Amino acid sequence: MAAKKPPSAASAPPSDAGLFEEIGGGFLSAAATVGGMGLLGYKIIQRLVTFRIDRAETLRNLYRMGVKSIPIVIVTALFTGAIMVIQAAPLVVRLGAQGLLGWGAGFGILREIAPLLTALMINGRVGANNTAELGTMVVTEQIDALRVLAIDPIAFLIAPRFVAMVTTLFLSTIFADTLALLGAAYGGLGLLGVEPKTFYNGLTSGLLGLSDVTSGLVKSIVFGIVIALSSCQYGLGVKGGAPGVGRAVNATVVASAAGIFILDYFVSFTLD
Amino acid sequence: MDAAKTHDESAPPSGLDQATEAPDESIAAVVGAQAMQLVGMGLEIASVFIRTLYYCVRGRPDFGAVVRQMFEIGNRSVVFLTVVMGFIGMILVLQGGLQVKRILPEFSMVGASYLELLIRDLAATISALMLATRVGAGIAAEIGSMVVTEQVDALRMCAADPIDYLIKPRFLASLVMTICLVIWAAGVAMLTGMLTAYIMFDVNPRTFFNLNLVDTGDLVVGLAKCLAYGAAIPVVAGHSGLTTHGGSEGVGWATTRAVVNASLAVIVLDLILSALGYVLLGP
Repeated sequence: MAAKKPPSAASAPPSDAGLFEEIGGGFLSAAATVGGMGLLGYKIIQRLVTFRIDRAETLRNLYRMGVKSIPIVIVTALFTGAIMVIQAAPLVVRLGAQGLLGWGAGFGILREIAPLLTALMINGRVGANNTAELGTMVVTEQIDALRVLAIDPIAFLIAPRFVAMVTTLFLSTIFADTLALLGAAYGGLGLLGVEPKTFYNGLTSGLLGLSDVTSGLVKSIVFGIVIALSSCQYGLGVKGGAPGVGRAVNATVVASAAGIFILDYFVSFTLD
Repeated sequence: MDAAKTHDESAPPSGLDQATEAPDESIAAVVGAQAMQLVGMGLEIASVFIRTLYYCVRGRPDFGAVVRQMFEIGNRSVVFLTVVMGFIGMILVLQGGLQVKRILPEFSMVGASYLELLIRDLAATISALMLATRVGAGIAAEIGSMVVTEQVDALRMCAADPIDYLIKPRFLASLVMTICLVIWAAGVAMLTGMLTAYIMFDVNPRTFFNLNLVDTGDLVVGLAKCLAYGAAIPVVAGHSGLTTHGGSEGVGWATTRAVVNASLAVIVLDLILSALGYVLLGP
């Protein structure tokens, strides 16, 4: 049976591998990845608790990941703010209540859209980049070289990236919240003729509270952890040269995006 | 005339001097350089897009490659998209229900507004953001590896334009499959949203599934978005892949660029199409 299988698997298209085998294989590999991420997270926390983390590398990564992502965050946030206003417009027009625009757009922006879209953009820029960089290091055996020099790769490479990514996403989300509200206020003025003042009043009239802001910020921390762990995990697991790096980047972006949405639901669910 | 010429000739050196003497002192210079780069990239992407369209009409027909790419882009994204859109449906209804609960505890219109929002915007845009991540990264990684291993140069040596050979099949496949995937994704999000409304807020599925607010305009805007995203993602990602340089790190960079640019393209197109739809077709 074992001798028969390989030729049939080689000649048939990949979808013929057996539905159950495929599903099972998918689950097993997902479980292995999540387990690996958990272990990596444990090792990182060990280093963080005992302060074995390279400070220069952390600052360098904060600059590379945080400061360099600002343009993308600005563009995304301003555009999403305007989009949210257009989507809330039918509600306002139908109810004839301009004061509701600030509340409607603000609720969506603070709770969901700003953390989510910032996380997706940072995932594309920083997460993918991080995997590519770590993957290249693995392929060119630089990580082994670190071990040979008795430098702990987790304290030197991984923990700084983890800290930098979580911080970046947290700060970017605050930034994005503000800018998206700005975009929404002026989008409302341009498209619906709602004065920014009315918009601001709608925001602060008591229907929105601090809990809406903190809910978004808690999400951003969770998303940051997901992106950091998955990009480091996939980056360290690269095999097979340049195509391997490409495949790993693809896999990490997909895994983090799915992780972001799944955890988003559970965070929203537990916070209310 | 002469004065204009001398002015033209003298302008570049002074610009260069400024750039070399004070590289990061003036914000205007930094922003200007970024803007120039952005415009240049936009022009390059537009050129790739136009050449792709040209080859769609005049290129060699390659049905097999299109079908293979349809499998790669479409079938392989189904599971990922189903998971993501399933959760999006639950999140949106949960948040929307909480929002409604604060003003008036009456849930009969939640379903109708949710379905309108889904069809007009969110089904297409969130699916497209996910496809920009998955498909965009895949296209850029694949074409980028080909560039790095000089397979694209080999194509050019054989007088085959890489755009005709590599990007056109992906473009056509993506156009078709994005529409199919978005319709599927909308269905999944509707179903999970309906279940969430039933479990969390006791909304009867029949009350929830209320298409009264959905009109032709919403459907047209939604489908126009599908087409625009389906066209934009492979072109932007293919451009990133073709401009890869420098080994395995270059492939990583190209993939990153593809994901970021394709996502930004989706957001910008979303704003443009939403605003156009609002202005032309009304709220």
